[in-house]
Amino acid sequence: MKKFAESIVKYRWLIIITTLVLTIVLGYQITSLKINSDLISSLPDDDPAASLYKKVGTQFGGNDMGMVVLETDDIFNAEVLQHVKQITDSIKITHGISTVTSITNIIDIKNDNGGIDIGRLVDEYNLPNSKAQLDSLKAYVFSKDMFKGAIASDDGTATLIMFTILNDANKQVVARNVKEKIEALNLPEKLYFGGLPMMMNDISDLIVADIIWLLPLVFLLIAFVLLLSFRSATGVILPLLTAGIAVVWTLGIMVLAGYELTMISNEMPIIILAIGSAYTIHVLNRINQTKNGSNKANVTKALSFIYLPVFLAAATTAIGFVSFIFGSYLTMIRDFGIFTSLGIAFSLILSLTFIPAIIAALPANRKKGNYKTEIEKKSLLSDKALKPLVSLLFKHPKYTLTAWSVLIVLSIVGMSFIKTSVNMADYFKKDNPTRVSEDIMQKKFGGSLPVFVVFKGDMQTPDVLKTMKKAETYMKQFPDITTTQSVADLIEEMNNVMGEGKKIPDEKAKIEQLWFLLDGQDIMPQLVSANRDEGIIQSKFASVESKSMTNFVKYMDKFIKENSTDNCKIEITGMPSVYEKLNNSLLQSQFSSLVLAIIMVLLIVGIMMRSYKQGVYATIPIISTVAILFGFMGFTGISLDIVTVLVASVTLGIGIDYSIHIISHYNHLLRETGDINIAIEDTIIKGGKAVVINVISVAAGFLVLLFSQIVPLQNFGILLALSMVGSGLGSLTLLPVILILSDRKKQNIKS
Amino acid sequence: MKKINFQSGVLFGLIVAGSVFSANAQDANTILKKMDDVMYSPKDMTGKNKIVLIDKSGKQEIREANILQKGNDKRIFRFTAPASQAGIAVLSLPNDVMYLYLPAFGKERRISTSVKSQNFAGTDFSYDDMEAKPYSDKYNPKLIKTETNVFVLELVPKGKSDYSKIVVNINSTNYYPELMEYYDKGNSKIKEAKYIFNKVGNYWNAQEIEMTDLKKNHKSKMQMSDVKYDTGLTDDDFTIRKLIQ
Repeated sequence: MKKFAESIVKYRWLIIITTLVLTIVLGYQITSLKINSDLISSLPDDDPAASLYKKVGTQFGGNDMGMVVLETDDIFNAEVLQHVKQITDSIKITHGISTVTSITNIIDIKNDNGGIDIGRLVDEYNLPNSKAQLDSLKAYVFSKDMFKGAIASDDGTATLIMFTILNDANKQVVARNVKEKIEALNLPEKLYFGGLPMMMNDISDLIVADIIWLLPLVFLLIAFVLLLSFRSATGVILPLLTAGIAVVWTLGIMVLAGYELTMISNEMPIIILAIGSAYTIHVLNRINQTKNGSNKANVTKALSFIYLPVFLAAATTAIGFVSFIFGSYLTMIRDFGIFTSLGIAFSLILSLTFIPAIIAALPANRKKGNYKTEIEKKSLLSDKALKPLVSLLFKHPKYTLTAWSVLIVLSIVGMSFIKTSVNMADYFKKDNPTRVSEDIMQKKFGGSLPVFVVFKGDMQTPDVLKTMKKAETYMKQFPDITTTQSVADLIEEMNNVMGEGKKIPDEKAKIEQLWFLLDGQDIMPQLVSANRDEGIIQSKFASVESKSMTNFVKYMDKFIKENSTDNCKIEITGMPSVYEKLNNSLLQSQFSSLVLAIIMVLLIVGIMMRSYKQGVYATIPIISTVAILFGFMGFTGISLDIVTVLVASVTLGIGIDYSIHIISHYNHLLRETGDINIAIEDTIIKGGKAVVINVISVAAGFLVLLFSQIVPLQNFGILLALSMVGSGLGSLTLLPVILILSDRKKQNIKS
Repeated sequence: MKKINFQSGVLFGLIVAGSVFSANAQDANTILKKMDDVMYSPKDMTGKNKIVLIDKSGKQEIREANILQKGNDKRIFRFTAPASQAGIAVLSLPNDVMYLYLPAFGKERRISTSVKSQNFAGTDFSYDDMEAKPYSDKYNPKLIKTETNVFVLELVPKGKSDYSKIVVNINSTNYYPELMEYYDKGNSKIKEAKYIFNKVGNYWNAQEIEMTDLKKNHKSKMQMSDVKYDTGLTDDDFTIRKLIQ
């Protein structure tokens, strides 16, 4: 290892220049970093429900559908209809729009004195304006399933304007243009914008806002903590520089590997900054403490001491992030795990190469004076907190143990209250436009969570259409389904106007001829494939409760089992199906990643300590912290979601460092002095100081996430900050007590 | 003197400008009328119509129909292929009255297409495009430019329409349209029709019209064959009884 340290000193300029060149090259890549706010793209391809959802959404255009809700006292009002028409017209002529459907242009098939009127609900050039006309429109709209609750809310206070975007258009740009155009109309009614393209725009804005506001904030905060702890320019600049370069490298490599920034990975720079700076702190500390020679000699000596502990700290942390690669359902979480661990690896490499190279290159004897006063001040501060702690632990080791036990028991009780949440709308703050639109959609139009039942077979045969109709009737019996739409409805409607009743005709020839009238209607591509071998029932799910979704999926599976045949293959997908999978995967992913992380950490610590028992001791505080974390989530109602599911493994990865630090310090002193009391006291007072500084700086970094626009990330910040404090406290109280009790017993037995 | 000169200059200018404008307008109207004459002068017409639908991947679907037409407001469209659509017939009468016959049901139904912007039977032609009403009745023309072989007119709808304008290239020798470009109200071109005319007897016949929906990237070709003009069709050939037969 000494050779490694020597060569770093020897090739210091090469290292510095290489690092800088790499940083410039990779930094340049970041200019082409793209934001991916498309949640659908994060669904895994190997899950049938998710891949079917992606396929159906693309094929039938559901994923490209935007919605505008217009809300007022009464939509059946001449002026309001005029405004709806204005909106419809302005969307229609927006570049990239394929179709627009609103109350002023929606197709209507009616029986007109024995004839068929294939027309529109209203004449857009002659909108109803007298009270009588408006009243009859209202009565008519509410009399038809096609309109009631679909285009006009049941209470008549809101109307929906839907648009689809051309396949080759940039959905987000089109959605943004639509929104801007409509807002420019300055209409007096309340307008809400929904649908995936709109939501994607909001998410993009949030991602950018989080980066712009949070990154500088966390930077300043860490700088402040570092300044307080080190009181030297290098002590502030070098850790931030390392972490900053690590962030640049990670983002640069992300671009090169073809990845985009998501609503999760946009927090990666913040996390790398908070965690990555710690390794440089350790290295600097060690170099500062080794002060008997030239800078170069100090660096060589310090490095050979510090490389192993720093490497272990980084390795365990990276394991925390890597552990959910295997358990996560969404690809964006997996990518986040991979790239964050990469960033941590970069921070480690930089702090072991670039930082020593810089110190070696710097002129000597700069900071000796400073360092001493710092040590003294720190000691004074520590005396007030850590010394009393030591005496408390010695006097009442069992009290400490009892206190932790009580806390853990309470937490286990709390765990039973943990809820899971997979509803995307919950991810936005209450006043976020997307959240507000979702709420309105749910209140007025039976939700916005799409449900698709896919039928494969000859869509022009009576059997397939009758099964479709049967499925619709069956679906509507479920409380959270209000409206359904399919080509079978249209065929029934047409059959009715041909005078043969509202039912599917028994002969295929009749269906084919009714179809002739529907061919070319805007709605058809949204319901049937071009070769008529696939059709869908489109519906919306009103509830966001996981339980209700699970029940629905089960309810539909029963129908599919009973009715799916070779000639009419039925499959279901949609957000309830995807959410259900996501929800199941949360617990599974939590379990597997946690178990994986515990095993890996036990293994690493055990090998490092060359003692299995101590490996277990080291993990006790951290496992206790994880228990408390879950208890806290249960009591405070912070739910387990795609982001908070990561906290436990990350906690384990970072928090274990404190235990490792304390145990190795203790072992070292115990070997030197052979006295438990001295070893413990010295460990807590000297080692504890480093732990406290580290806890404060990392927790402060995570707390910045409180200002994030995305709710789960706020929770992620709170929970991790709590975990840092918990695992720090655990390693300073619980761990020493365990060491005292076990080694006292040993000494007693010996004596 | 100078003042008078100026005034008379202005006056002269106004007269010239006015006459240029009116000459221009007259020209545009005349050109459009001539186009209408070329398109709608036969008393009647019969022929076979082949509709080729081409989607964006190039996949084709073919429909065939027989057409009978009298004047510019009576027409029967009777499908002969594919088999599933054979026998379906549409009778168009004046004042937007239409009847549809579905053989599988053995009955006819009057259909009103209050919305003319809807596409006709899965093609890229809207009912509006299919209407045989003279363009000069529906549009105000303006001559934009005269090129070697074509007049380029801009047609602005007089009444309700989904189009803001149609730009039409009219052959300057024979006065048939060569190209029509349809613009939506946001002034983007949304459709385009290319015409190929051939001479059948005394008349110019639209042998092929290729309509492209530029948004959907979907094409419909209407090809006419076996065209016969002035065979002496009467109003009796355009009745419900004839539709059902």
